[in-house]
Amino acid sequence: MTAPRTERLTFDDVELGDDLPETHPDVSLEKVRLFVEASGMPFARFTDNEAAKAEGLPGALVPGIMSQGLLAVMIHQWAPGCRIQKLDTVFRFPVLTGSKPRCVGAVTDTDEDTRTVTIDCTLISETGETSLLGTAVVALD
Amino acid sequence: MGVAGDGVDLAAIKADWIGRELETTTYLVDGDDMVKWAVACGETESRFIDPADPDFQAHPTFTSLFMHHPGLPAEFPKFSDRPGMDGGKSVELLRPVRAGETLAGTASVADIFDKTGRSGTMYFVVHRTTFRDEAGEDVAIVDWKLITPGVKA
Repeated sequence: MTAPRTERLTFDDVELGDDLPETHPDVSLEKVRLFVEASGMPFARFTDNEAAKAEGLPGALVPGIMSQGLLAVMIHQWAPGCRIQKLDTVFRFPVLTGSKPRCVGAVTDTDEDTRTVTIDCTLISETGETSLLGTAVVALD
Repeated sequence: MGVAGDGVDLAAIKADWIGRELETTTYLVDGDDMVKWAVACGETESRFIDPADPDFQAHPTFTSLFMHHPGLPAEFPKFSDRPGMDGGKSVELLRPVRAGETLAGTASVADIFDKTGRSGTMYFVVHRTTFRDEAGEDVAIVDWKLITPGVKA
């Protein structure tokens, strides 16, 4: 995994088609527990494999809104200090708690007038399925 | 569009519900929860994880936290008895959310539509919550896409 950038990325540094550095987020049980505590969603299907299986799920799942946050972190690591104005995500396939997903993204549009870029971003499960598809609008200096 | 093959009169449901305001709920933005949320997602920027940072703010999608309250009202039509699913969230952030502020979230039905594929007809309801601050200014708009399968053919 590429270390997070430390210097600010400006609009003028970005080219259409640029790939964001791939990230490998930590979705360990510890992190998911912290998330459900913060989000007030203390449901066993997120943190207990057996409870999740009893609901017909393949195992404990990373909450969809946490997965959305993982994509936001990838964007911040690419462009520290940027402002995510919009992040639209479609939940397609579950991410299992404790698995090893990865986040990828690419710049698909730029708007010089607003100094914003559009990023298509994806969270891919450990087994290669597209778990989350997202589109972000990000303002840069 | 009239009555669908499974007996759902989508046109009537759309006419009756799209644009309808549901209810307004107030939320206190908790700084501890902001930090936990950002840390759990792996955030490292100080403005999201350090309450002492002069620009301390919530992670961009934090308002999703408030989205399930309220959901759709009990009288909202049922498309089938089959379980629905969360199709995704869209968060538009108009300005940073700060610790300690109170947001009023007003829910409404923004859209209803159907799609038909190999597994039959699926119904989509876009449940929108517009969050406003104490001055009445819009802060964030969160769309929650709820998917319900139609009756089995």
